[in-house]
Amino acid sequence: MDPRFTLTGIRPAPPPPTPSRQRAARRPVPAAAMLAAIVLGCLFFPPFLPKDPSYLDLYHANTAPNAEFLFGTDAMGRDLFSMVWYGGRISLLTGFLSTAISAAAGILLGTASGLAPRWLDGLLMRLTEIFLSIPGLLPAILLQAALGKASVLSLSTVLGLTGWAEIAKAVRTEVRQLRGSAFVTASRCMGGSPFHILRRHLLPNFLPAILFMLVMRFRSAVASESTMSFLGLGLPLELLSWGSLLSLSERSLLSGAWWAAVIPGVFLAATLLCVTELGSGLQTAGQYGPSGL
Amino acid sequence: MKTHCIYVCRNLLAFLLSLFLLSAAVFYAARLAPGDPLVSYYGDHAEKMTPAERLQAEERLGLHEPIHIQYLCWLRSAARGDFGISYKYKISVLQVIGERLPNTLLLGGVSLLLIFTLALGLGILCTLQEGRWTDRLLCRAGTVLSCIPEFWLSLILILIFSVWLHWLPSSGAYSAGHGGDPLDRAAHLILPLSIVVSGHLWYDAYIIRSRLLTEIRAEYVLLAKAKGLSRKQILLRHCLRNIAPSCLNRMALSVPHILGGTYIVETVFSYPGIGTLTYESARCQDYNLLMVLSLFSGMLVILCSMLAQICSERLDPRLRPAPEPPADVPAPSEQAAGRLKRRMAVKSPKPLPHRR
Repeated sequence: MDPRFTLTGIRPAPPPPTPSRQRAARRPVPAAAMLAAIVLGCLFFPPFLPKDPSYLDLYHANTAPNAEFLFGTDAMGRDLFSMVWYGGRISLLTGFLSTAISAAAGILLGTASGLAPRWLDGLLMRLTEIFLSIPGLLPAILLQAALGKASVLSLSTVLGLTGWAEIAKAVRTEVRQLRGSAFVTASRCMGGSPFHILRRHLLPNFLPAILFMLVMRFRSAVASESTMSFLGLGLPLELLSWGSLLSLSERSLLSGAWWAAVIPGVFLAATLLCVTELGSGLQTAGQYGPSGL
Repeated sequence: MKTHCIYVCRNLLAFLLSLFLLSAAVFYAARLAPGDPLVSYYGDHAEKMTPAERLQAEERLGLHEPIHIQYLCWLRSAARGDFGISYKYKISVLQVIGERLPNTLLLGGVSLLLIFTLALGLGILCTLQEGRWTDRLLCRAGTVLSCIPEFWLSLILILIFSVWLHWLPSSGAYSAGHGGDPLDRAAHLILPLSIVVSGHLWYDAYIIRSRLLTEIRAEYVLLAKAKGLSRKQILLRHCLRNIAPSCLNRMALSVPHILGGTYIVETVFSYPGIGTLTYESARCQDYNLLMVLSLFSGMLVILCSMLAQICSERLDPRLRPAPEPPADVPAPSEQAAGRLKRRMAVKSPKPLPHRR
């Protein structure tokens, strides 16, 4: 029988995709290159920039982009070109820190819930579900408003502590599946502590499953940071990030200085888009067989 | 009937308990957070008060007692329907919220309707055109749109439609003196509405699309095709009905996200709704206002998740709570239960390979 035909013989089965083609289709090279350019630029450009981003050059306030000020200046006369690269540092740093905090909290809680007896597991998961249903930024905004003036560390902590729920849920599902397996039992029999089991046996197994979530977490952390800074709830004006750069732009829009609003936003949106592309490259789902329609 | 009663009672009890816990948590968190509630009541004058005056002022607002006593007092008056006055506005909390709530409900309600209809339409369109350029283009555009932060998109829209083209107003819910004019309201609503819709639309559309894409690979679709139904008929009559419970569930869960997520838009467009009010009350330590607003959003969240559950149970009989077994069927004996347990134990899934 022709191997291309399935058992029912109704439809010919499609040829299996060749591995190399499949991998090439999923690898987001342009996005990775662009993201690398932005990240490396933010890391290494600032020492070589000709202008000080915090210098208020009031003679040249609201200057349109020209040869001296590549991206123009904002309402306070600060050079946007330097500010964008400096601001990226803080934005990306906040993203990394809060993702790390979310990941640590999510993995610990998820593992605890996965290994816990049924009643505790139920309780923890109920808590997680309640947390998931609270709308977006609201808890972060309230927490930050209560904490008072924000710094990079406090904002990352607030964002990290409000973003663990999804990760915890995914980790718990994976751990529930893994906990009965022979290698975990063997390690436990040999006296392995819970942390040892988590590090050596569970983490390597569930990491691929939550990697996509971590990348998406990074994306939403960067977006939340800029949103909060923009609203004046996050980083103060003098701590340059893409969000606090944009917090002045509402006024500059009305005075016609569009560049102060558009340029940092383009950087922000491009970074978020690249991170999303990278994330969907990691996702294994989304591969469908032939349609039945 | 009896199961029904127990079911309703259990849900009601869970609802009240969660509201109670939420109120206690918010009450303690708000009062323990640094900040001076007197500033929001007395304005700048609070900073110039002598200690004796301060003490008197605190006594008048009932802030001098220990927190648990304050909480009990609040509970007692809340049970009578008295939620106190807003420190900042000096009028009843319910009155402050009542003035702003219709605005948010209008914005949120219209966007909810738009999001769900558009998401359904886009999901169906993408499934019908799967793999063709329409589908690919829509997916691409959706990803890009969902990546752009809401506040920046608002800025860009203001720049284009208010600053450059002068077509639409850039802030407020209505122009001064035109409060009752529906056309004026609509013009003020267009920009905020498009931001809220574009922020949530793609997520819902994508979920519907991926559910439908899985669904059209089921065997029954092939049968329906063999029977001679058209593509649209199969999709709309069979597949859509099958994914309806999970989609309704998803939509009910996103109601609090949409209604509660309007505060960014409200702030950027200076739209007088409860989103900005919530933020203001947290920032100014306006305790009474904050309590009612958090209870309101908490209630919304819990009610919507209950609604989601009920919806999916109504539509999908497999999810309903199992009816009680009739009395004449003997309960399984201890021995039988043990046998069953052993049988299940043998059937446990194969251990996953250990990867490094």
